[in-house]
Amino acid sequence: MLLPWEYGVRNLARRPLRTMLTLAALSTVILLVFVVVGFIRGLEKSLSISGDRDVVLVYSVNSEENIENSAIAARTPALLAASVEGTQQRFGVTHVSPEMYLGTRVNTDENNGGLGLVRGVTTGAPLVRRSVKLIDGKWPSSGEVIVGQLAAAKLGYDKQDLAIGKQVVFENKTWEIVGQFAAGGAACESEIWCNLADLQTATKRQDLTVVALLLEPGSSTAEIELFCKERTDLELRALGETDYYQSLQQHYKPVRILAWLVVLLVSGAGVFAGLNMMYGAVAGRVREIATLQAIGYRRRAILLSIVQEGVLLAAAASLIAGAIALVLMNGLAIRFTMGAFTLRIDSVAVLFGCGIGLLLGVLGALPPAIKALRAKVAVSLKAV
Amino acid sequence: MKTIANLSLVTAIVVLIGCKPSESKNENTKSSEPTGKQYLVASEPDDSTPVGEARKGAKDGDAVTLVGHIGGSTKPFVEGIAAFTIVDPKVAYCPPEEGCPTPWDYCCTQNEVKENIATVKIVNERGKTVSEDARQLLGVKELSLVVVQGTAKRDEQGNLSVMAQKVYVKQ
Repeated sequence: MLLPWEYGVRNLARRPLRTMLTLAALSTVILLVFVVVGFIRGLEKSLSISGDRDVVLVYSVNSEENIENSAIAARTPALLAASVEGTQQRFGVTHVSPEMYLGTRVNTDENNGGLGLVRGVTTGAPLVRRSVKLIDGKWPSSGEVIVGQLAAAKLGYDKQDLAIGKQVVFENKTWEIVGQFAAGGAACESEIWCNLADLQTATKRQDLTVVALLLEPGSSTAEIELFCKERTDLELRALGETDYYQSLQQHYKPVRILAWLVVLLVSGAGVFAGLNMMYGAVAGRVREIATLQAIGYRRRAILLSIVQEGVLLAAAASLIAGAIALVLMNGLAIRFTMGAFTLRIDSVAVLFGCGIGLLLGVLGALPPAIKALRAKVAVSLKAV
Repeated sequence: MKTIANLSLVTAIVVLIGCKPSESKNENTKSSEPTGKQYLVASEPDDSTPVGEARKGAKDGDAVTLVGHIGGSTKPFVEGIAAFTIVDPKVAYCPPEEGCPTPWDYCCTQNEVKENIATVKIVNERGKTVSEDARQLLGVKELSLVVVQGTAKRDEQGNLSVMAQKVYVKQ
């Protein structure tokens, strides 16, 4: 025979202060789990949606995986367009985007010293970067820039500082913000885009960083790769954009492992908080538990009731933490080396957060319950 | 408390096992049974020329026989088609005892590679590059020593490509 459901519920209310404190501790622990899992999911999501399967990046073979270190000849786009078949063409326009990409200090009237990502582009960029949408303002002309939705987060500035009509200063030149763009959370959403020729003039450089090409449907990167291999004098390499971001996923693997380790350690702390509370709760009820055994309740039923208490508390904490995470944390912009991304409290994060929460309840309640039930009934009945 | 100690021990073991670094990929990617036996020859062709010499002497359209190690970059094979780069055997690559994960990129001798590299394209009887990865087609892997017979293609920049129809895999 099982103990009544209400028995466990009422037991929680018998020591309201201790219950509330444990609830607060468990909620904090589970909220931390939500934040860390949300961080991992946000990073993974940002990298996974950043690549376009039909886009090939051509950059310097000497820069390895770091495109920002690449420097290639300015004639590369024309050479590629002339030599390689399989690039998308519409109305006589080849979908090739020559770009200069760099990390530099970006200042505003209100803020100084933020490290931003700037991309010098031509009108070929929107043809290749298909996820980019101009959501406000206009395409930049000379001396003007458009900013991604997460650019302010990347710089650590207020969003208002990068509003349309404001000015930013980088590479010793003042630029006016004339538009804002979105890219569905992709990495380029944390960038500032300006006119390629302007950026080359400002940086006193003639070269490019990368050339992005949009492939025709059914084409593969092989022909572009082969061109890069044959033209060894150009020292180029070609890589599918999705492969590039997959390699970044590998690059950030240690960060993700560390984040999961934090989840484990934080969960461990939660288990100890639960253990502490349940040991206290059970220690004061030794005689009560012995009495329950004496009047015929099986040990298993009493164990289940104690675990029920722990799980109830942990479930309540999971709900509180989940609500806070969804309302306050979801979509929060995070600065990162590659740009910025948003915390994602998605279904996986909710599953992990609540799952770990419930596990804390079970793991925290089991040891004290087993300890209490191991004692002999006759001895426990006489306990003070 | 004993239970807590046991729990802590189990957690520590899980963490330690989880954090064990994966074994480094120090070996070349494995080659398999070749599917393009018509492109392979059983005996080594005579008078093969090292890549460096061919870059100096071969003209566009010449029939050439080149010998070299597959390599020159981290990824010497072109994915999806039968094409790869070879480097003159005289250029040294990192010996295995140095533990370099990708010795075929000649990272320590890159300056020498520039003048001692050629691109090999395996072409069919119509002169089109075979649309199958060279690793499967020829059963080769990075640093395989190969002798290729074909037609040289030169450009004004001095780059050398070979449209090869026969390949001998030396080792």
